Amino acid sequence: MMRPERDLPMPFRAIWHALYWQFERATWQYDVMVILILAFVWLTPPDWLGDPTARDAGPISWLARWLAGR
Amino acid sequence: MTFTGLVGATFMLPLRAIIATCVRFRIHPNLLTLIGVLINIAAACALGLGHFVTAGAIMTLANIFDFIDGKVATELKLSSEFGGFWDSVMDRFSDISLFIGLIYLYSQMGRTDYVMVSALAMMFAILTSYTRARAESLVVKCKVGFMERPERIVLFMIGAFTNRMAAVLWVILVLSVATVFARIYYTWRALNDPEMTGAAA
Repeated sequence: MMRPERDLPMPFRAIWHALYWQFERATWQYDVMVILILAFVWLTPPDWLGDPTARDAGPISWLARWLAGR
Repeated sequence: MTFTGLVGATFMLPLRAIIATCVRFRIHPNLLTLIGVLINIAAACALGLGHFVTAGAIMTLANIFDFIDGKVATELKLSSEFGGFWDSVMDRFSDISLFIGLIYLYSQMGRTDYVMVSALAMMFAILTSYTRARAESLVVKCKVGFMERPERIVLFMIGAFTNRMAAVLWVILVLSVATVFARIYYTWRALNDPEMTGAAA
């Protein structure tokens, strides 16, 4: 029987572990996953997803405006 | 300590005070569960009207009740099989309410695409808990997959507070699909793979 967690080469093994998730909360793997999710949510331009409710470019534009205002 | 561990520990401080207050007044945990659901229905209404920040604030309040009911039950020694069942059923009510709020909002906007994304996310969110419940009648434990209820709830709040609900729905959908299939695969392996026979009930 094939065991993907052991038999797959990198980076496919990492993708397998992300989808076939077996880690506990508050581990470094969990932190990495949370960072990736937050990056997707906050950094993806709403236009790319056709977001029906977003009114601006979001946190990334707020940060840009704040930096420009300094 | 990890970043998420630190965030969890920080939020536990005020929650401990709330739990202590509920224990002091001997508020029944099943009542706390019910109050949590009713507040979540109010959050769903706010989502349906497109008032995301209000919905986020209401969801935060609702989830305090959701979180503390089990802890209060333990402290008051009122944990029971019915309490666990009641909690699970009420959790599904809360989950479905929030998705229905979004489905209503997107249908009012004429956005069939996001009506479908929300409906599919709702379907797989329900299947996430169903697959685990059903699997655990066959195997000892089936705790695989990332997108469980706490993750979903926190994502909903992030989406509401930062007005990024579309991105959040995509994350919930994709990771819920992965979680459901992970649970199906895990259960199949636990029942068929000789290396995992210890996992079978």
